[in-house]
Amino acid sequence: MVLYNFKKIAVVPTAKDFVDITLSKTQRKTPTVVHKQYKISRIRQFYMRKVKFTQQNFHDRLSQIIQEFPKLDDIHPFYADLMNVLYDKDHFKLALGQLNTARHLVDNVSKDYVRLLKFGDSLYRCKTLKRAALGRMATIMKRQAPNLQYLEHVRQHLARLPSIDPYTRTILITGFPNVGKSSFVNKITRADVEVQPYAFTTKSLYVGHTDYKYLRWQVIDTPGILDHPLEERNVIEMQAVTALAHLRACVLYFVDLSEQCGHTIEEQVQLYESIKPLFANKPLLVVLSKSDVLKLSELPADRREAFKPFQQEGVPLIEMSSLTEEGVMQVKTEACEALLAFRVDQKLRTKKVEGVLNRLHVALPAQRDGKARPPCIPEKVAEKKLKMDGCATGRKLEKDIEEELGDEYTLDLKKNFDIRDEWKYDKIPEMWNGHNIQDFIDPEILEKLEKLEQEEELRIQSGLYAIPKMEMDETMKEIRELARQIRDRKSIIRQESQVKKQSTKPVTPRTTTARARERSVGRLREEFENLGVDMSETDKANFTQTRGRARSLNRPLLKRARSGADDDEEPRSRSTSKGRSLSLAPTKRLRMDSEGRARSVSKPPRDEMGIKDVVMKKKLKNVAHKAIAKKVGKTGLKGEADRFIGTKKPMHLFSGKRGMGKTDRR
Amino acid sequence: MAVRVQFENNNEVGAFSKLTNSYCLVAIGGSENFYSVFEAELAETIPVIHASLAGCRIIGRMCVGNKNGLLVPNTTTDDELQHLRNSLPDKVKVQRVEERLSALGNVIACNDYVALVHPDLDKETEEILADVLQVEVFRQTVASNVLVGSYCSLSNRGGLVHPRTSIQDQDELSSLLQVPLVAGTINRGSEVVGAGMVVNDWCAFCGLDTTSTEISVIESVFKLNEATPAAITSEMRSSLIESMS
Repeated sequence: MVLYNFKKIAVVPTAKDFVDITLSKTQRKTPTVVHKQYKISRIRQFYMRKVKFTQQNFHDRLSQIIQEFPKLDDIHPFYADLMNVLYDKDHFKLALGQLNTARHLVDNVSKDYVRLLKFGDSLYRCKTLKRAALGRMATIMKRQAPNLQYLEHVRQHLARLPSIDPYTRTILITGFPNVGKSSFVNKITRADVEVQPYAFTTKSLYVGHTDYKYLRWQVIDTPGILDHPLEERNVIEMQAVTALAHLRACVLYFVDLSEQCGHTIEEQVQLYESIKPLFANKPLLVVLSKSDVLKLSELPADRREAFKPFQQEGVPLIEMSSLTEEGVMQVKTEACEALLAFRVDQKLRTKKVEGVLNRLHVALPAQRDGKARPPCIPEKVAEKKLKMDGCATGRKLEKDIEEELGDEYTLDLKKNFDIRDEWKYDKIPEMWNGHNIQDFIDPEILEKLEKLEQEEELRIQSGLYAIPKMEMDETMKEIRELARQIRDRKSIIRQESQVKKQSTKPVTPRTTTARARERSVGRLREEFENLGVDMSETDKANFTQTRGRARSLNRPLLKRARSGADDDEEPRSRSTSKGRSLSLAPTKRLRMDSEGRARSVSKPPRDEMGIKDVVMKKKLKNVAHKAIAKKVGKTGLKGEADRFIGTKKPMHLFSGKRGMGKTDRR
Repeated sequence: MAVRVQFENNNEVGAFSKLTNSYCLVAIGGSENFYSVFEAELAETIPVIHASLAGCRIIGRMCVGNKNGLLVPNTTTDDELQHLRNSLPDKVKVQRVEERLSALGNVIACNDYVALVHPDLDKETEEILADVLQVEVFRQTVASNVLVGSYCSLSNRGGLVHPRTSIQDQDELSSLLQVPLVAGTINRGSEVVGAGMVVNDWCAFCGLDTTSTEISVIESVFKLNEATPAAITSEMRSSLIESMS
């Protein structure tokens, strides 16, 4: 638990930053657009808001600073004094007080200008007033520049102060510079204080912690102090004096017997005498350090006289050497014990202890009956204790397995079952055929199973399960053979019919035009004539005896046009001989216009396109019907026209703004 | 020896484990760290068993047991019961009890010889308790708390009770239980000593927050090291006063 935490004070910005931060925040967080044609009340409100917002931000930030810095009157006197020594109480209070005044000034400026803004009659006037208000606030802040800078220094220094708890068990180490205070602290804690062979290596307080008797002890290393009046002491010494004055600690006064510190034993005793008032009502120990150089017993008797004052007061002297570690633990133990006894003694005088007295009592049982109730400790425990003696077991723990397998790991609950190994992983369902397995658990199941198995053995031996061999006679064989043949034949028939059903006819796409006839009597005649063969006497020739081909409308237009223009009579006369009257070529000339064939001769409907005659049409209709029925039946539609449209109005086609005639993207 | 341990960042280890002289039940958690602490300490001497009761992990508060047997609440499923029977040694009897106060660990505190129970516990449960666990049963309160299981922690060698138990009550309970008793806290001042720690005759596990003074009290009263309960009133007296007030 930390009572005083000075590390959390927010950074104090410089005056310039302060103004910049606040003004830019105003710019960011308030509306920025205003027009002069707006109603004047709106314009006024716009600028008032800016002024008030800026004031509020200045106010909040200043309040935060004033709030966060510790109040010297409220904190522990140790810290109050320490801060006085380090930062000068008056300066500190003044800085905070001036910030407080600045806060009031900013508030007043805002109040005044908001009042003035109420009378602003144009945008320009309002804007000017706002500018003036913000400018004045900025000026006020600018005047606080040195205060803010000072507070920032204080904050940075405060954050670096060691966190000393003034109420806890504390061991305080003091003495002349260079007598081995820091070395001792480094020996008993892990504070790692710098140790150097010159005076005032330690310039501020250092804290370390050590353990003794299940308790945590705070060890404070102070800078060395010299023997001169309080008024002449510098800041470094004053820190030590503050700690000595306000912390209720066990004081270890270090005396360097070897005088390597540059001060004689007499001087050191003199210092003790002069700062003795600071040790009043505190356990005190005098530590004679550097005993590896010179021991008390090696000291001449006349020099030893110097320690008389200690002996008179009954202050214990302990020899110690941080170098050889001789006596270090003894010093620690003595100090802790003295302080513990002192603190317990003080506490026992208060009422606090009464509340915990019941916890200091061990209730021992009164004998109730003669029954012995011995503890039940397996023998293995003692064995293990003997075996262990500090070394870890070689056992592979579940944790190790888990670490090894990583994500693959699953907890095996059955591994450690106290049953036969082959049973461990038996799969037992929870429910079976609607019955809870657990309801049917039978402790004698094994004996019963054995009995059943024996019975079964007997049955097997008596031949109950022997399957009689069946002898096949002739007729049976014949029937089997016949059945096989029937089956084979059936499958062959099935396959054949499947093959037959598959149509081998070519499929013509409905959209293609009928193919133009390439070979014709006319073409033959023409080509031969071109080659110079006389074809005049060939009217009765065999090759003219061909069946005329019914003409469909799908014949290429060009050819038809040609045939209509110059060859109109001839093909007809040729084909009439055996041609069918049904499909006579049109007698009329095709009417042509610029776009091709005129519309009056319409295309036949698509379902009649490319169809030879009525029979074919009927047949095709039938086929189409079947095909459609098949398709429709599969999807459960009513008919070919029963089209399913999932989304009638797809979002992407119907949403969005339609203004300005932008509908073309649909 | 007392070991500090934590179950998934929770210090109430007594809620997630049950320790007796012949077995140890440990809740099934997200990782095996908690289990392995018990395993490392105990697995060579007694079975350390992963268990859940009624699908809950707070097994320590749900069941009660000693070296002779184990009582589980009626909400325990058949599978869980079967798992326990498979895992426990044959001489440990497992019994499911129909008890309205189903958090048996909270309402019953026992060692291998004596049990303290909630004053409102069923008569039948009391009989089953006496039969299965082979204990003498006393209806008692600890510091006027009826949840005796939560507020005290017992072994055959000692006991820790609620910190506000008066000296008179301590003496009375001690005579019933026939073990030395001390009032104390666990987990840096927690009063629920039953939930904060588990203990048997040679080993204890307590929450990670437990201070060294608390540990030293535990070790002395349960005689886990060379110290005896008398040390609390003699050597440790000053540190105790210092740390408690």
